[in-house]
Amino acid sequence: MKKFVFLLAVLSCHLTAQAQEAGVVTYERSQSWVKIFSRMTFLSQEEKDRMKLTWGSREDWKVKMKLYFSPEQSLYTYESDQATSDDGRYSWRQDEFVIQRNFDKEKKLEIMEMLGRTYVIDDSLRTPRWKVTNKIKEVAGHICMSAETTDSLKNQKITAWFAQDIPVQAGPEQYFGLPGLILELDINDGDALITATKVEFKPIDKEMPKPKAKGKKISDKEYKKLIADHIADSIKAQRNPYWAIRY
Amino acid sequence: MRQLLSLLLVIACLGSAYSQTTARFSVKGTVVDSGSTALVGATVMLLTPKDSSLVNFGRSTDKGTFELKGNKRMPYLLKISYVGYLPYQKEFTPSDDAVTDLGNIELKPITKELFEVVVRTAKAPLSIRGDTIEYNASSFKVPPGSTVEELLRKLPGVQVDQEGNIKAQGEDVKRVTVDGKTFFGTDPKLATKNLPAEAISKVQVFNDKTEKAKITGVDDGVKEKTVNLELKESHKKGGFGKVTAGVGTDARAQIRGNYNKFNSKEQFSVIGFGNNTNQSGLSWDDYQDFRGSQSFNWSDQGDFGFSNGGYIFFGDDNDSFGVPVNGGGRDNRGFSKNYAGGANYNYDTKKTKLSTNYFYNQTQQTLDAVSTRENFLPNGSLRTDIGSSRINFNGIHRGSLRFEQKLDSTNTLIVIGNGRFNKGDDSFNSLEQFRRTGSTLSGQSRINNSSNYDAFALQTTAIFTHRFQKKGRNFSLSTAYNRNNTNGDADQRSENTLVTDGTNPVNPIRTINQINQTNSLRSEFKASALYTEPISKKVFWETFYNFSFRRDEVDRDVFDRVDPNEVFNDSLSRYYVNNFTYNRLGSSFRYTNKGFNFSFGGAALNFHQEGQFTRDQSSSAAPTTVGRTFFTVVPNASMNYDLKNNRYLRANYSVNIRQPSTRDLQPVVDNSNPRYIQEGNPNLLPQLTHSLSGGYNMFNPATFTNVFINVNYNYNINQIVYNQTVDSLLITRTRPINIDGGQSVGSYVSFGFPLKKTKSNLNVWSNVNFGNNPIYINNVLNKTRSNNYNLGLRLDYTPSEKFTLYTNGNWSVTNTSYSISSLQNQRIYSYNYNADMNVLFPAGIYFNGNFNYRIYQNKRFGFDQKVPILNLSVYKVIFKNKRGEIRLTAYDVFKRNLGITQSASQNFISQERVQTLSRYFMLNFTYNMRGVKATTRRQGGMIIF
Repeated sequence: MKKFVFLLAVLSCHLTAQAQEAGVVTYERSQSWVKIFSRMTFLSQEEKDRMKLTWGSREDWKVKMKLYFSPEQSLYTYESDQATSDDGRYSWRQDEFVIQRNFDKEKKLEIMEMLGRTYVIDDSLRTPRWKVTNKIKEVAGHICMSAETTDSLKNQKITAWFAQDIPVQAGPEQYFGLPGLILELDINDGDALITATKVEFKPIDKEMPKPKAKGKKISDKEYKKLIADHIADSIKAQRNPYWAIRY
Repeated sequence: MRQLLSLLLVIACLGSAYSQTTARFSVKGTVVDSGSTALVGATVMLLTPKDSSLVNFGRSTDKGTFELKGNKRMPYLLKISYVGYLPYQKEFTPSDDAVTDLGNIELKPITKELFEVVVRTAKAPLSIRGDTIEYNASSFKVPPGSTVEELLRKLPGVQVDQEGNIKAQGEDVKRVTVDGKTFFGTDPKLATKNLPAEAISKVQVFNDKTEKAKITGVDDGVKEKTVNLELKESHKKGGFGKVTAGVGTDARAQIRGNYNKFNSKEQFSVIGFGNNTNQSGLSWDDYQDFRGSQSFNWSDQGDFGFSNGGYIFFGDDNDSFGVPVNGGGRDNRGFSKNYAGGANYNYDTKKTKLSTNYFYNQTQQTLDAVSTRENFLPNGSLRTDIGSSRINFNGIHRGSLRFEQKLDSTNTLIVIGNGRFNKGDDSFNSLEQFRRTGSTLSGQSRINNSSNYDAFALQTTAIFTHRFQKKGRNFSLSTAYNRNNTNGDADQRSENTLVTDGTNPVNPIRTINQINQTNSLRSEFKASALYTEPISKKVFWETFYNFSFRRDEVDRDVFDRVDPNEVFNDSLSRYYVNNFTYNRLGSSFRYTNKGFNFSFGGAALNFHQEGQFTRDQSSSAAPTTVGRTFFTVVPNASMNYDLKNNRYLRANYSVNIRQPSTRDLQPVVDNSNPRYIQEGNPNLLPQLTHSLSGGYNMFNPATFTNVFINVNYNYNINQIVYNQTVDSLLITRTRPINIDGGQSVGSYVSFGFPLKKTKSNLNVWSNVNFGNNPIYINNVLNKTRSNNYNLGLRLDYTPSEKFTLYTNGNWSVTNTSYSISSLQNQRIYSYNYNADMNVLFPAGIYFNGNFNYRIYQNKRFGFDQKVPILNLSVYKVIFKNKRGEIRLTAYDVFKRNLGITQSASQNFISQERVQTLSRYFMLNFTYNMRGVKATTRRQGGMIIF
């Protein structure tokens, strides 16, 4: 009997350990076009103020995202492949967007519809250079610590809040590599905010979608060049580059 | 050989193993709490001391131990975090050994109060930076209007006594700073008692050097408890304004100014302008600055159902109630003097939105025109030459109120009220000469009319929306009451003569000397309901109902002046009441899935008119009554498909119903032009137009290539057209009637691509339209066929920030043929060329040149008009922060703005030339508090949503 109890304890320990390390996070991603537009260097202060006064009090655009995570791998995509208006009467398709990470093999596979076509970025993983700060706060019931990095490609300041009690290095969007699961990601002081609304622990092997990597295959280097060229061209042509690429 | 190789391999392996032990090291330790209990699963991180970059991390085991292996040999910052404990931080330099053991590391718990209140309850980020603790102010709820003092009372670890003295972590706070700066002297209470709590984003509490130490630079080691208040970005109050004034040749002058004041919730603005340069409305930018967050409203349409609901309305719903916006353009006809001014106030929160504004504008316009009009009759044509002079004045006061309240999470109420009061007068003098088939003068009219009117109009709407728990189930209800009361007096004098010998006017055939007074009162009550039921996640069922009751009451009294009396004119006076009842019930299904939206449905509508007409309300004769009911069922279908990669396909089929205008329904004879007598038709039916349209567009953001294709087809049933009869005295009478069979088909194709990315873009477009409109002329059916071919080209050349050139050309040919007389068939060529050049010269001087060249040709009339308009301006931005601009402009350098319009339609062609504002020079000065933007780039509108 004692043995049985011990076994049970071990088993449950094992189970909880596993449960704490794999699961699905639902995020709400909001994006403020006003703030993004306000960063466009080709606009004058008058134009920025006008935009802010006209549109600033409108609610930010929101969409739900999902992250499947385990210590070995992660997959991040839209919760649904279609978005609907608040009243549900209209729907539109989401762009193709899947970010897959394999931490064991240090590989990534990203499927992104941007610049008028679907690209598949198949390359090795490169961890962002994180700076850990001393800020703590709670996100979705988990105490998180913050870390910062910068995206030199899009010139963004990234603030991530990672859970101290979920020892998984996965995260939303293209970010990962912290001692805990990233539950909130703030791009450029609130231009875009990805916040976890629900964290569920469960095995993900069956549930995790297996997306087809259909599209133009490019390397990480080619992806970076594509984005850098597009941003430079757009700014030169006085257009907002983020209509065509993800912010 | 093989052996040698394997030996080498072994050496290499050994070597690498050896070097690893020297260059790399492990760090280990045990994480415990103050009671030496092991902390399991603590996050252990190795950071670089310089910038806290994360190098390695791990977790403490169930015994509290950790070991991070394979680290480069250099100093590190060890950081350990554990839920409920203060993050631990320690710099260390590894020993020369392979393993550096840091022993027991004790973590201190976060004060329970701080942790539970700040992190758990308030969900506020708590930042611990050395000894600075930072609170997120917005996480602590204080009543609206509270001061910072009240906010501080809420913060854990902070006490504020009766006098307002502050203590943080048990110590007196010596200094309060705002955004790091001392706020009005040294008394810390000044800031906390005066600043509103809602203006603060963060509160930081820390020990700072004394003021003395800061000034002298000598650190005396004494630290003062300091509180820093960080202001909210959004709450920073703002104000800005702009004024432009200019004087020119020919006594031309203009002034325009606006000022805005705002904070995160309120926006207040005033605007005003005055000019004699034909600018009667606001530019879109000025409009947006004036109306702020209420510039564009999506959900103000209360007429639910087909072709109404769900469309975007720019500006206010009903133009005549909205602030006049004409894009900043100028009227190209006549001369006008314009004055306007208004004020707007918006209050905006997530729950309540209130907007109210007042706007007045007045325009006095002078139109001196020479025109020629040719009407084609079954037997020849009638040509009218008119020389006229018109002066009119219109002054409009507008007030508007819009209130939107989220009653709770499921109910929203919108109330809109718009009012307008206007006054105007008009005086018109003309000499009209008539020539029948050829050039012999056959008749003449002299007209001398004047009128004045005043009108009051009111428009009120209330829209209520309820969202049920089930997503997609919605219910909306709207009611509206509109009222329009117009009173007008007109004085009409005309003398009409017949010319028999070709030169001298003899035999006055008719002389009109009348006074007419028209009072009209139109009131309308409307109600609509819309219900949406989700049948599945992809299918929705919508049902709508519209009701409208309109009552028109018109009293027109006409008096003939027969010296010395005024005699009531029985044939022209009319009193009538018309009641219209409109009911529509419709239903549709909508399928929506992954960017494919399809809907189809139908509506049954009933239109009932009941009218009573008499000569006068005092008339004893029994009134004529008209009663008609019109019933029809109309289908509706639409499709929208997002084809991926910025390609969209759409198609639409609908039946649009146009109700006859009140003017067309009035059984009243309008003889204000005695040669052109207009009469209404109370038996007029609503016009039905079957419309079919489709389109495709794509945009490739990588190559900046775009394609637009649109096609449309319209077929009219009961089209309202104006039948004409010309009698032997050459008097034209028109009367609206219904006719079937008019149709039109049109297409538009556009293709744009960069010739050189970011430097030059080319756009080519073409549209082709065919129209066929039947009309009765002297009781003979005529079909006017009009075919229009249009080709356009635009080339933008933007090689640098110092030079840009935008050019476009448009070529159009219109063939119009008339079935009753092919002799009258004509072809009109219309070409338009435009070039806009911007140059930045040294010393910051900008030059803009805009050249427009328009050509009209109508060979049948020998009409060949070429109008070159050149505008030039030179400007320079002056003052600190680019706040001023001085600009010299030359308008219409060639003095060729002749106000020519030409049109051909149904059975007539006309050309008109109006004396119009032409060449003048103007010197403008602008002062803009936010700075003037000077650029060679063309300014595009900014649409965000």
